[in-house]
Amino acid sequence: MQILLIEDDPRVADHVARGLREAGHIVDLVRGGREGLLRAAAEQFDAVVLDRMLPEVDGLKILQTIRATGDTTPVLILSALGDVDERIKGLRAGGDDYLPKPFALSELIARIEVLGRRGPAITETTQLTTADLHVDLLGRTVTRAGRRIDITAREFRILEYLMRNAGRVVTRSMLLQHVWDYAFDPQTNIIDQHVSRLRQKIDRDFPTQLIETVRGTGYVIRDRP
Amino acid sequence: MKALFGSLSFRLALTYVALFAGSLLAVAGTFYLIAIRLPLQEARAEVEREAKTLQNIYIVDGRAALLTRLKARAKVHRQRKPFHAFISPEGLTVSANLRSWPRQPVEGWLRLEADDYLEGDEVDYEPLTLDHRFDDGARLLVGRDIEDISEVEEVLQSGSLAGLAVALVVGLLGGGLMSRAIGRRIETVSSTARQVMAGDLSQRVPTHGSGDDFDRLAETLNLMLARIEEAVEAVRRVSDSVAHELRTPLTRLRADLEDMVKATPEEREARLSAAIEEAARLDRIFEAVLRIARIEAGRHATSFIPVDLTTLLDDAIDYYRPAAEERGIAMSGSLESGLTLVADADLLFQATANLIDNAIKYLPAGGIINLTAAKSANMVVIELADDGPGIPAEHRARVTERFYRVPTTEDVAGIGLGLSFVAAVAALHCSTIHFEDAAPGLRVRWALPIA
Repeated sequence: MQILLIEDDPRVADHVARGLREAGHIVDLVRGGREGLLRAAAEQFDAVVLDRMLPEVDGLKILQTIRATGDTTPVLILSALGDVDERIKGLRAGGDDYLPKPFALSELIARIEVLGRRGPAITETTQLTTADLHVDLLGRTVTRAGRRIDITAREFRILEYLMRNAGRVVTRSMLLQHVWDYAFDPQTNIIDQHVSRLRQKIDRDFPTQLIETVRGTGYVIRDRP
Repeated sequence: MKALFGSLSFRLALTYVALFAGSLLAVAGTFYLIAIRLPLQEARAEVEREAKTLQNIYIVDGRAALLTRLKARAKVHRQRKPFHAFISPEGLTVSANLRSWPRQPVEGWLRLEADDYLEGDEVDYEPLTLDHRFDDGARLLVGRDIEDISEVEEVLQSGSLAGLAVALVVGLLGGGLMSRAIGRRIETVSSTARQVMAGDLSQRVPTHGSGDDFDRLAETLNLMLARIEEAVEAVRRVSDSVAHELRTPLTRLRADLEDMVKATPEEREARLSAAIEEAARLDRIFEAVLRIARIEAGRHATSFIPVDLTTLLDDAIDYYRPAAEERGIAMSGSLESGLTLVADADLLFQATANLIDNAIKYLPAGGIINLTAAKSANMVVIELADDGPGIPAEHRARVTERFYRVPTTEDVAGIGLGLSFVAAVAALHCSTIHFEDAAPGLRVRWALPIA
């Protein structure tokens, strides 16, 4: 993906840029708000990482300006203001995701990758398939290799979210945000327990393990060739 | 002097003196009207009438008739003693019971002296007299005694003056004393206030012990000072403990990083993840402290909406069920259906999560957790009971303090902010939360108002 990174702190900027490049993305790094605004308007990026507090222009102002031109490029806001109110403000200004500082680099990469391919994921799907695992979103049934698997409603939502992002790493906090509808401080090991129960039902009786743990980051569901 | 006139109490005293003098004058005026002016008018009318009659007698019936009439009149003692003097055209006093009168006739009213001696005692008379000169040169003075009225007049005059003087003296003196007394009381308040401003929050306004207005003011101020001192003390404790709690992970972080410089490659890996974990822990503490502060500042109160509490609590149980089962803890819930209240759903969920998380953390395997919620009057009562070690009575009051941990539980992971958060959320929702002995175990009772 081609990513525009607007961040004024040089150490944070270099750290993030390097991480994204190592994950296989092309990163254009801009330090100032004005330049960032110009670049975002002039070029086509797959995603924008925007610092909320920039020296010249408020990050949210940039976002509003970009959105006013009808540009729908996914934008992830980085901010030291972690308050729920600030998060809501950021999303209202047109942000697609909001990550409070300090953050784990893997979290940022996972989120930006999910954002970057959001386009097709939004279209209405009634069936999700990964390898021999099928999920019927209308009938709310799960079958693997033709065999019906019973899971709870919550496990169904976890599985649905993983499969909608099949092949991409999903972090624990992303799961919390999308599967539980409360914005709260994750007791991360508890999410692990939910995923591990789901995994037992999906993977235990089969030779190939579909749900993988990404150490220190989260989970990914993928079809191994 | 300027300070004296500027003082409120002295100005009040002056106003009081003016009011007192005013009412004294009003009373004196009324008294003058009733006891002096009206009787005087009556006396004048009577003297005028008599004078007219006597003049007519002289003109129509002659001198002899007048003299007879005067003699007769002098004998009759009604209310007011009659006085007269008749002087012939030749200048001879023909008949008179007045002692003296002006040589020349006078226009208008005369008030003459006519003292008399009765059995050795002096009796004062003051006849109100009309002087008339006839066309033939004869002169007739006719009067009636008004000594009683004059006496009252004198008493009234001197009395009013004395009253005014006393009021002025007492008022000024009293006002001065009062303003000094009040000034001293006010000065004690302001000197305390100055000491407090200078940083000594333990200062209190001394009370008089009389329970008067100033004592009540002092008590209110002292209560306020106590609250402020408590709040400042709480802030100081928090900042002290925050500093301490943040320094510990910072020290460990620094130690890990320093050790890394000279560590072997294998060691380096372990040190590195320890350092990252320590940084994450720092972030968690910082975020938790900030969140509690934000909630306490009331900045979340804007996100209050009607919340389906039954579903929320059910979600919380559901969220923790795998964790509980993993530790061999049985978790059950008995929730009244359709419980709704106006609240911040995210905060309520997090607070409930903290309570359940604590129960799971501190309970031994085989423990039981039971969450109930029911409507009672205009409250929803949430109760979370377990059969674990509970909280010893002496620590129960302090568990909601930031970073406070029951000393025997130090081996259980935690930073001591979970219940502080719960307490802050409870306070934001104008609700009360109690930690009770479930014998054995802990029962948390949270009563939330519905409206």
